[in-house]
Amino acid sequence: MRRAARRLVLCLAGLLPTAISLLAAPSAGAQLRSVELYAPRPFGHVIGDTLALSADIVLDAPFRLDPASLPRPRSLDYWLELTDSSLTDRGIEGGAQRYTLDLTYQTFYAPLEPKRLDIPAVPLTVTDGTRQLAITVPPWSFLMSPLREIVATGEGTTMALRPDVAPRPVATSGTQRGLLAALGGVAAGLGLLAWQMGWGPFGRRRDRPFARAAREVRAALASSAKSAASSTSPASAPGQRAALLALHRAFDATAGKGVFAEDLPDFFRAHPAFAAVETEVGRLFDASRRLFFGNDAVAATELPPADLITLAGRLKAAERGGP
Amino acid sequence: MRLGIRRGRLIFFASAVLLAVSLCAGVIFSARLILDRAANADITALAAGRDVPVAPDSRPELLFARLTFLTTRDRFDEAQPLVNRIATTGTSRIAAAAFYDLANGRLRVAISHLESNDIDPAVPLVRLAKEGYRRALALDPGFWDAKYNLDVAMRLVRDFPQIETSGEEIPPEAAKRLWTDLPGVPRGLP
Repeated sequence: MRRAARRLVLCLAGLLPTAISLLAAPSAGAQLRSVELYAPRPFGHVIGDTLALSADIVLDAPFRLDPASLPRPRSLDYWLELTDSSLTDRGIEGGAQRYTLDLTYQTFYAPLEPKRLDIPAVPLTVTDGTRQLAITVPPWSFLMSPLREIVATGEGTTMALRPDVAPRPVATSGTQRGLLAALGGVAAGLGLLAWQMGWGPFGRRRDRPFARAAREVRAALASSAKSAASSTSPASAPGQRAALLALHRAFDATAGKGVFAEDLPDFFRAHPAFAAVETEVGRLFDASRRLFFGNDAVAATELPPADLITLAGRLKAAERGGP
Repeated sequence: MRLGIRRGRLIFFASAVLLAVSLCAGVIFSARLILDRAANADITALAAGRDVPVAPDSRPELLFARLTFLTTRDRFDEAQPLVNRIATTGTSRIAAAAFYDLANGRLRVAISHLESNDIDPAVPLVRLAKEGYRRALALDPGFWDAKYNLDVAMRLVRDFPQIETSGEEIPPEAAKRLWTDLPGVPRGLP
């Protein structure tokens, strides 16, 4: 039994030379399954380059990496810095604990010719609570290339330094755009508020009933003309009724009360802007009285649609204060 | 009718909120713009060579302008605190530029010392310059001008493990070796 075990150990040692140290350790069976190192290209690095190495470590499940054994960012050599190290625990899967150890190095070696350099192995400790075991992330070597020729052949280039970084002004375009947007917001807010409250140019927005009436007159006559396209009558009765109603409603809204033919003199006194259309308005009221109350079909011919539209337009203009 | 009133109220509140928010934003943006303009005026003045005093808690761009003003006039002792300040407050780009510019200034002075065969004051300047370039490269590993100038500085005074590890006290033979480390004779010697 013991001989068989020894043979197995020997066999494993032959197969896995990197694991020799582990097998030599007492009671170090197969706690470490594998350490795989993923490295960047091993050539063509120049001074100041960063080298991102990544090691996949697989352990047998109860064993975990001892966080205290992880390398801390520090200066490893006069030319090599470990700038960053981070461990990712990828969990237990099939009885195996997986880790990814990311190591970022920065090299400051200034070679005169391409030179092979070594990043040393990283010793780590794994533990299952009682036993401790040393493992290593293998070393890695790479070629560094020089940046400049050994003897300058260009004229005056031996000591020529690269130029300084010139100070740049603070970027203000973003702030300017923000300010413009804020001003736009102020204008939009003010406009909306003025429109809602009826301030300034929006003051007379609400009391413009004739503008709406003119629109309605046109719409009513157009729809009724469409429905009675073939008839010879100037306009069908419902369209004309609707148009007249719209105009009456505009008069009512302007005066703030119902306006009848008897009230017209008072209306023109109160709203002198409409004086220019006094006679037409008289005709309108006359015709509508006969249409609505007298059921007089002649009234329909008295105010043809074209006249009605013209009158609505003139009323709208008078309301606006124009001719 | 009620719907109309509710809609009117909604429009009123929406426009009032929009007005208030954009007024606040406008005030903030204009204040920032005024401050930016003032800083830019100082940066332009420093770039033009006028000695504008800069408060130590100014913004990094302004400190950097002051730093380049000082380094181009070889006033490194005044510039060093500015670099530390920029490194703590500024972005990594501007901090790398600050380390680089100060190192450039020191290396230029060191080279002029070497050209007049004046080695003793040059060596510490080259060492400080190398340290500056390394700090710049640690912040921005893709800073090619810093790589190039660090390479120049490295060939002036090479790093040696025994010197680096021996700490403060430099062995007496190191001073002698530093001269032999200078590759070739710098141009412009008499």
